[in-house]
Amino acid sequence: MALDFSAITPYLHMLLAGALITLKGSALAVVFGALLGILVGALRVLPYTPIRTLAATYIYIIRGTPLLIQLFLIYFGLPSLGINLPAFASGVIGLSINSAGYVGEIVRGGIEAVPKGQWEAAQVLGLSYFRTMRHIILPQAIRNMLPAFGNEFVTLIKESSLLSTLAISELTMVGQQVRSVTYASFETFITVGVMYLILTSVTSLILQLVEKKWRVG
Amino acid sequence: MQKAIEVRHLCKSFDQLEVLKDVSLSVDEGEVVSVIGPSGSGKSTLARCICRLEPINGGEICLYGNRIDTGTHSHSDLARYVGMIFQQFNLFPHLSVLDNITLSPVKIRNMNPREAEEIAVNLLKRVGLEDKIRSWPNELSGGQRQRVAIARALAVNPKIMIFDEPTSALDPELVGEVLDVIAGLAESGMTMMIITHEMFFAREVSNRVVFMADGGIVEQGKPADILMRPQMARTRLFLQRILAHFGENLTHAPAGEATSHGA
Repeated sequence: MALDFSAITPYLHMLLAGALITLKGSALAVVFGALLGILVGALRVLPYTPIRTLAATYIYIIRGTPLLIQLFLIYFGLPSLGINLPAFASGVIGLSINSAGYVGEIVRGGIEAVPKGQWEAAQVLGLSYFRTMRHIILPQAIRNMLPAFGNEFVTLIKESSLLSTLAISELTMVGQQVRSVTYASFETFITVGVMYLILTSVTSLILQLVEKKWRVG
Repeated sequence: MQKAIEVRHLCKSFDQLEVLKDVSLSVDEGEVVSVIGPSGSGKSTLARCICRLEPINGGEICLYGNRIDTGTHSHSDLARYVGMIFQQFNLFPHLSVLDNITLSPVKIRNMNPREAEEIAVNLLKRVGLEDKIRSWPNELSGGQRQRVAIARALAVNPKIMIFDEPTSALDPELVGEVLDVIAGLAESGMTMMIITHEMFFAREVSNRVVFMADGGIVEQGKPADILMRPQMARTRLFLQRILAHFGENLTHAPAGEATSHGA
C-alpha cells in the first residue's frame, strides 16, 4: 500500500484550523495553569500548616486522577449543579486546573532546591518572608524550574487531544472527521502527528531560548 | 551599663538532642568576644539563636535590652541590632556584588539607590574590593566572597556583628585577607562575637575568649588566660589537641601578628 496524501489535501485547511484551536486552548491553559500553579506551589511551601496541607491535597488529587475524568466532571458534572459551561471553556479550565497541579509540584521543588543559607542570609539582612521569596528565592528557583516547565507545557499540548472527547474541534477531533470522510487513516493521522510535533518542538525551542538567556543574566 | 548581648539560661534542643544547656553570656558594647570549642559544643547554635535563626526552647535573649526571642520583632527590626557572617558566605548568586550589598538598604530602609551605591563603594574600599563592584559572586574567590559578605552585612549598619566560623570554608591561603578585615572591624570599636577555630587570631583581636563544650560555657576570661593558662581540664584537653594539630605552641607565637596563624 502506498501513502497518498493527495486524498487529504482538500481537508488540510480544516486540520490547520483544528491545530489553531489546539494552539489556542493549550496556550490559554499554559498561562492560567502556570499562574495558578505558581500560586499553588508558593502556598505549598508557606510556613502555615493548614494552607500548606490544602495546597498539598490539591496537588495530590489532581496528579492522582485522570485528566479525562477531570474534564468530564467539569463538562458533564457541573451542569447538574446548574453550572453550564461551553465546551471550549470547560476544556481550557480543566486543562488549566490539571496543569496547575503539576506546575505547583515543580514550583515547590524549585523553591526547596534553593539552599537554606539563602533564606538565612536574607533574614539577617532584614528581609521579610515575602520579600525574601520575591527577591531572593523565586528568581533562583525559576531558573531551576525552567526545564521542568518546558516538559509540562509539551505534555499539556499533547494532552489537549483529550478535548476531542468534549466535541471541541481541535486537531485530534478534526483528524477523526477527516479520516471518516476520506478513509485515509494513515495519511490523516501522520499529518495530525506532524502538526503536534511542530507545536511541541516550537514550544521546546522557545523554552530553551528563555533558559539560555536567563542563565547568562 | 546596658549590655549589647545578654543571654540568660538559654536552652536549645534539636528533637531529643540538647545542644545548649542553660547557657548565660553577656557582651558589652564595643567588646570583641571569641567563642572557641570543639565541634558539636553548641557555639554555632548559640550564635544562630542570637540572630533568631533558631527558635529557642528556654531562657531569654536580649539585644540592647530588647527581648528578641519572643518573635515580636520583624526581621527588619532585628537587622538593626545584629548582622551575621556565615561560614558559607551565602551571597546571592543571581545578584551582582553591588546589588548584594544594596538590596537590603534599598528594599528595607528605603534608601535611594544612588546613596546606597555610594555606601557600597565605601564599604568595598574598606574590604579592599572596590574593583569588584560589577562582578558576580561566582567570579570571586572564597576570600573575596566572604569580604563582600562582610560589606553586605555592614551596609545594614547593625550594632553587633556575629561571625560564625568565617574562615572555616576557605583555602588556607585565603584566610588571612578575611581575618585582616575582621581585625580592622574590631579596631573600629564594633561589638563582635566571633565563633572561630583560629586560636592565634582569637588571642590577638578579642577582649575575651569563651570556651564552650558539650552545650555549655566551660570557662571564659582574657584571651591570654584562657588560651595559655586554662583552669579547667576540658579546656586544656581541647587546646592540647588543637596545638598538637597545628604543631605550634601558643605561648611561643610572636605577639602582634593578628593574622599569622599556623594553618
